[in-house]
Order: sequence, then C-alpha cells, then structure tokens
Amino acid sequence: MANYFNTLPLREQLAQLAQCRFMHTAEFADGVEALKGKKMVVIGCGAQGLNQGLNLRDSGLDVSYALRPEAIEQKRQSWKNATENGFVVGTYEELIPTADVVLNLTPDKQHTSVVNTVMPLMKEGACLSYSHGFNIVEEGMKIRDDLTVIMVAPKCPGSEVRAEYVRGFGVPTLIAVHEDNDPKGEGLALAKAYAVGTGGHKAGVLMSSFIAEVKSDLMGEQTILCGMLQTGSLLCFDKMVEEGIDPGYASRLIQYGWETVTEALKYGGVTNMLDRLSNPAKIKAFDLSEELKDIMRPLYNKHQDDIMSGHFSKTMMEDWANDDANLLKWRAETAETNFEKTPAGDVEISEQEFFDNGILMVAMVKAGVELAFETMTAAGIIAESAYYESLHETPLIANTIARKKLYEMNATISDTAEYGCYLYNHACVPLLADFMKGIKSDVIGKGLSLDDNGVDNARLIEVNTALRSHPVEAVGSVLRGYMADMKKIV
Amino acid sequence: MDPLPLLDNIHLSKATVSFDDRFTLSEIDWTITSEQHWVITGPNGAGKSALAAALAGMGDIQSGSIQGLPNNVEIVSFEAQAELIAQELKKDDADIMDVISLGTPVSEMIFDHCQDTELAQSLVEKFGLGKLLDRAFRKLSTGETRKVMLIRALANKPDLLILDEPFDGLDVDTLAMLQAHLASIIDTVPMAMVLNRFDEMPDFITHVAYLDKERGDKQSGDKGRLKLTVDRQDDAAFNELYQLLHLKTTDLSVPEADPTNKLPTLDPSQPLVKLTQATIQYGDTVIVDKLDWTIERGQHWQLSGPNGSGKTCVLSLITGDHPQCYTNDIFVFGFQRGNGESIWQIKQFIGYVSTNLQWEYRVSTSCKNVIISGFYDSIGMYTKPTDSQKKIADQWLEILGMQDRADQPFNKLSYGDQRLLLIARAMVKHPPLLILDEPCLGLDDINRQLVLALIEKICQGSETTVLYVNHHAEDQITGIEHYLGLEKNN
Repeated sequence: MANYFNTLPLREQLAQLAQCRFMHTAEFADGVEALKGKKMVVIGCGAQGLNQGLNLRDSGLDVSYALRPEAIEQKRQSWKNATENGFVVGTYEELIPTADVVLNLTPDKQHTSVVNTVMPLMKEGACLSYSHGFNIVEEGMKIRDDLTVIMVAPKCPGSEVRAEYVRGFGVPTLIAVHEDNDPKGEGLALAKAYAVGTGGHKAGVLMSSFIAEVKSDLMGEQTILCGMLQTGSLLCFDKMVEEGIDPGYASRLIQYGWETVTEALKYGGVTNMLDRLSNPAKIKAFDLSEELKDIMRPLYNKHQDDIMSGHFSKTMMEDWANDDANLLKWRAETAETNFEKTPAGDVEISEQEFFDNGILMVAMVKAGVELAFETMTAAGIIAESAYYESLHETPLIANTIARKKLYEMNATISDTAEYGCYLYNHACVPLLADFMKGIKSDVIGKGLSLDDNGVDNARLIEVNTALRSHPVEAVGSVLRGYMADMKKIV
Repeated sequence: MDPLPLLDNIHLSKATVSFDDRFTLSEIDWTITSEQHWVITGPNGAGKSALAAALAGMGDIQSGSIQGLPNNVEIVSFEAQAELIAQELKKDDADIMDVISLGTPVSEMIFDHCQDTELAQSLVEKFGLGKLLDRAFRKLSTGETRKVMLIRALANKPDLLILDEPFDGLDVDTLAMLQAHLASIIDTVPMAMVLNRFDEMPDFITHVAYLDKERGDKQSGDKGRLKLTVDRQDDAAFNELYQLLHLKTTDLSVPEADPTNKLPTLDPSQPLVKLTQATIQYGDTVIVDKLDWTIERGQHWQLSGPNGSGKTCVLSLITGDHPQCYTNDIFVFGFQRGNGESIWQIKQFIGYVSTNLQWEYRVSTSCKNVIISGFYDSIGMYTKPTDSQKKIADQWLEILGMQDRADQPFNKLSYGDQRLLLIARAMVKHPPLLILDEPCLGLDDINRQLVLALIEKICQGSETTVLYVNHHAEDQITGIEHYLGLEKNN
C-alpha cells in the first residue's frame, strides 16, 4: 500500500488540507434519522468503542459488537465490556454481513488487518466508519468502491464521550467523508447522524477531510499536546529538585499545574493564560517562550515535514513491525523518571499559585501552542484545524496528567500519539539542556520575589500586543465564540 | 439590676403532655438553662403554644417528666388572655344581684397582681394605659388587654417569662418599647417566646426550638414534636431554620408546569412502568432476580431494602441509565424498551433526585440554571432557556426562599440547599413520575426536615406519582401506600 496523501497532486493535497468548517446547529435538524433502523456493528470494544456504542444505543440506534473469536472464547475484557452492557456480541462472520454501518474503533495499529478481514464480509453498499484517518491516508488502504467511507472522531477520551452524553451534552467532534468512497453521496448524512447519536452535535462539529484530520492530528499530538507536556514535566521537575525545592511540592505543582494553567487557556486563549500572571511574571514568561520558540522551531518543522512526507508513519510502522521495540523501551524509561516516581506531596497549592510559581510551564505551553499552530498553518493546514489540534486539545491532555501523571496520559492517547510523543521527547530533552541550565527557581517552583511589581510601560504594551495579535488568538476567539453559543451557560 | 436568680435548669425528658385530649406534645427532650432565651417556632398546629403552656405548668403529663420549673412563672398568651377575660365575664354572670357589674378595673388587675408597683407604674405609662386605669378590664380592646397582661407579667418579676406571640397586634411604637424593655431585663430572667415570624426575633434570643406536627389517628389527635433546636450562633443552621419555616408556612404552592412546552400525553389506560421478570446480572452475580413490578399512575410507592439489594439498579432500569435495560422486558411511559426510542424520550417523563446526581452535578452554573436544567434533563445548561422557563425557575426559588441566591454558583451552596434545588429541578416539568432515591441521605436534621417539607408540598400540589426510596423509617412521606421490599441476593 502506498501513502495515499503522496499519490495526490499538490493542488489536491492543499485543497484537502484546507478543509475545516464549524457546522451550524441547523445542519443537524434530521437527528439520527439517516441511521434509524440500520444495523451498526462496532469492531473493538475498548474505551471509544464501548462508550460510543452506549451513546448510539441510548440515542435509539441498533448497535452490536463484532469481536475476534479468541476474544469471545477467552471472554476477554472487550467481550466482558460488551456483554455486561447488554449488547449483542458475535464474530465478524456472524455480524459484519448484516451490518449497514461498520464502526472501526480499534487501535490504529490494527486497522490494516481489521479492514482486510472485514471488507470482504461487508454487504454491498454498506458504510465503513473510522475515528482516525491514519489507515486511509498514511497506510493507503484502498476500500471497495461500493462502500461509503466516513470518519467520526470525538475529540475526547472515550470515558468523556460517555460522561458528557449522560449529562445531556456531548464532546466536540470532527467528521469527514472520504471522497474516493462516497458512491451514493450519503456519506455526509450518515456522518452527521452518527455525530448526533454520540451527542457531538450539541458541543460543536467540525467538517474536515481525512487528510486534514490526519496531518493536523499527528502534528498536534506529538508536539504541543503530549510531547511538550511530557518534556516539560520531566525538565521542570528535575530543575526544581536541583534548586532544592521539596520533591513532593514539585511533583504536585507539575501534575496539577498543566491542568490549571491550560484551563485559563481553554477560556481565553494564550492571552488569558498569560494575563493570569503579574505584569513582571507575564513579561518573564513571554521572554522565556520567545527563547523556547527559537530553540524548538527546527524541531517542530522537522515533525511537520516528517508527517507531511510520510516519513513519520513509515518509521512508526517499522517499529510496529519490530514489536514496538523503541516505544516499549521508552515507555519503560518514562516509568523510571524521577517525576513519575515521586508522588504529589500533601500540600495545598492555590489556583493562582500554580501560575505564580509555574511561570516556565506557562511559557512552555505558550511556546508549544504557538509553534505548533504556526508550523501547521505554514504547511497548508487551515487555521481552524490547527487551532483544534493545538490549543483546544491541550487542556484535555493536561487533564490526563492530573489524573495519573504521564502514565495516564500515555495510556489514554492513541498509539500513534504515544509514538510521536516518544520521538519528540527524545529530541527535545537534549535540545533544551542549555536553556535549562539558565533556569532558576524564580520561574519554576518559587515565583518571582520582587519588591514591587513595577514594569516598563512600553515593554508591557509590546508584550500584550504581541500576545493578542498572534493568529491563534484570532481564530481561537471566533471558534470559542461558537462553542460558547452552543454551551450557553447563561 | 437584680442578679440572675439561681435557677435550676429546666429539663424536659421524654415529656408527653396532653391538652384536653385535643392535642399532645410527644416525647419532648429539651433543656433550658438560666442564661438562655428561647424562641419556639414551627408551622401552624405544631404545638408551639402547647409547649409554652407546658412550661407554665399546664397540660397533663402522660409520661416522661418536666423538672426544674420555677414557682414564679408568667405566661402571656392568647389562651391566658382568653381565660382572664372569661373569668371576668363569669363574674358578671355570677352576679345574681340585679345591678350592673362594672367588672374589675384595670388598676386592680395590674397592681393587685404584681410584686413591683413602681415598675408596674412606669410600664403603665410606657404602654400608654394611664387613662384606662379606671376602666373595667372587660371593656378593653383586645390590644389593650394584651398590654395589661404584659404589664402584669413583667411587673411580677417572674423567674421564667413565657410570651406567646407577644408582638402580635402591637403598634410600631409599642412594639419597639416592649422589645427595648425585654432587652433590658435579659440578665434577670430567662425567656421563652413563641414567634411565627423570624424577622420579629429580638437580638437577645440565644436559641430556637422548632416543632412540627405529626398527624395522628382519630383517637389520639395530632401530635407535636420538638424536631430541632438551633443555637443562634450557628449562622448556617439558623439560616436553614429560617428557610424551613418559610417552606412550612408559605402559602405559595408548587409552580405550574411550562405551558409553552407540554410533555407528550400518556395513554391513561397504560401503567407508567411495567417490569417483567427483570434481572440484572454481572457475570455470575445476580443483583436483581426476576422482578415483576407495575407502577400505575397515582400509586405512590416506597422502595426499600438493605444496601446492595439493588434498589438503585432497579431505578436505573426505569430511568434508562442501566445498560441492561436493553436486555430486559421493560415498558415505560408507552415505550417497550429497545425499539428505537432514545433515553431522552424516556427521561422527559421522569424527575430524579439522588445523592449520586448531586455528586455528578459538578458544573459551575447558577442556582437558577440548575432548576431550569430540569426542563432539559441535563446536568448544566447547554441551551438558552425560554422566558417562560426562567419565570418558573424564579417561582421555585421563591418557594425555597432562595430568591437572593438565584445567580450564585450552585457548587458554593450548602449540601442541603443543593439538594433542595435538585428536587425543584426534578419537579420543574411536573413529570408523571418523580423518583426520590434516598433524598435525605447525608443531610443533617434540619436539612432533612427541609427536604421532607418540600417533598410534602410537592405531593400536595401535583399529579405526579412518587417513587420514594429510603431506609430511614422516620422519614415517612404521607400519602405513600404501596411498598416494595428488595432482598439482598448474595
């Protein structure tokens, strides 16, 4: 199989990358009608598979699970998940031929083998759905011409997909139709109904393309989302301990600090996150982030280039073929880091203190978000996609670190994200070694100890203007506006 | 000023006191110490005046004991006033001589009775009774006889002063004068006063006793019980008591359902809920075993059973929150489950309150929005509410006595107030079925009373069928006649 993206002419590549549109609520007026009475068969009963299935069934749709015979015979966890929740479970041979829609919710790594098994069993004119386009775009999987291929990707971990639905809401969701496989022109209607069934339409749906989704998703997850937070956690922790700060405090500041500072990001972008700092601290964070951006820019460019060229997926698939040797080695190393091994101390840290004592963390988030956004848009991904895959998702990932540190983050994210995170971390830690030598506890751990908070007017205006005029802030304020309209917490 | 008399504590121990077979105070446990000043309060018919009278030594003690009552007790009450007037009228009747009796003059009523004539004289002037001293007592207006009674009681320098609604019917100036006088003697005499209105409560009051009535059978008549005592210093408890009294005494009834958005009509010939051989099972563990249960409209049910007997599981089969509702034979609100209905079509007919819901209701939203979210069965608000919904929410806040908290964040409220709001949320749409899953769980006495008062109000004023789950025998709700007991299966 050849990399699908690389087979397209440049003009088509750019057109595909430029797709991303926030859909209007009125476009979902038909609800789940397009899927009513149709047989939906889910493959894979992990967090996404199970929780999406629960939502779809609660929306009145017919959902069952196709599992491999071993999973059924050995009553594996996936079998237990499905049966204890009262779903019909069967083998591929039993269920796939009856399916109107097959939902492939297995890990990326299994896509090729799953799709190769399933495709011959699917009935004429049925629909195959993905939640990530890696298999189509990077692995170049060719789907039978009579089948419709769509993507519905809730932009949250499976547990949240369910929790938000139960609350009467949903999570932001990306949908796409694979243009090469839309023989009956019903792909969009099916994708919209699927998004309604999981509750996504209440939180906002983005209409994208398989290509835009894959290229932006890979870039976001390996750089700012997982890579930067992982690298930042390790570097900041070791620095604080080196500076004589209590390890328990340092551990807590980092574990919960990402979540706290990115919460400000979620509400009001990078600007609001930095506005939470005192004026001298804001200027300090700004200067640090500019320095970080200069150091890390080549790395971000390399990640984006490797993603675009297919080099990234090629090396990752090589590691897959090598039984994940690199990934597993790195995973073991992460578990042995000082940050991971030091439990959060039993100390109270106020919300504001996370900002005041975490200036470097704020600077790292700012640098990572802006760099990822700049690199993606420079590569032809449009601003909307770049915003969602950088700034928007950072709080979601930060939340997983708050739960159980890096272990939880790496366990929750996809295997492609974890592999990308590995590559990033591997390169970024040495890259920042010199920079970290100049760091003291005033910007991580203790906060600036100044006699007064005076700053130079001209410099403050300069910094504020630079923050507010960054392009991620422009698109962010528009998209957050849409979200707020939907989520109108009046 | 005289020093405080060395008074024993007054101690009521499981005192059951009956009054003319009409009313019984039931098992009162109460201690009054000499430095305390009490207000006795509660809804109409709760036995406030009876308790005041019992302190004055009236009523027949059926069981238990009242110890430490001083000899010199003065009581001013409508009953005592009526009795005094009756005595006067009797004198008139008893006059067999054919002369017109003038009755006892006011001066004699006052000065013959009291210990401190000087004080009596000054009070006569303060109360403006100087001109009436020669008038016959029985010729006075009700307000004037009340003043005479007050002067007699105060000038008699009692060791315990009991005032039953002392401020009723007094003009503003007299009221202020009386309050000032009472404030000047707080170090010399303990006081207990019956008050229906909190805003009349003098500042020197140290404690509040709250009574409520329990409906008895025809022979025994109603019973009054001392439900709570609150220390004035405890601001939170004091405010809750205020709210409780408001709820118990307000004439406001449960607000109407939203006229602009009516629930679909249910077929009156069908039961609301019918479970047939309902079974919940995890692996080999059976939680609920072949349960048949039909809830007809208007049949209020109490569901009970030990922890782990599956009460909440059974409820979640009805609400659609249990995944195994799709593998059971469940008929709810016209839907045979598992035929393409969505859970929102089911939930619209149900109001639901539980401790779990309270734990899950962690979004930061205003109190008013919490109530409105009941229209959408959502946790938090994701839709702009209509004017009509906002108006109904305001009416509910008024019933709860929480108008001033409409815009406060829900998560900043006390646990008990949160529970009240969630009950209002459940009822706001007038659901055909209201499920109260241990609504008093985790609440202290006063909040328990508050919640029960609210539920009682709801049961009085609507056509909602109530399903009440509880294992506290004392938290009975009047009107429930059907019981289902679950056994623990393992």
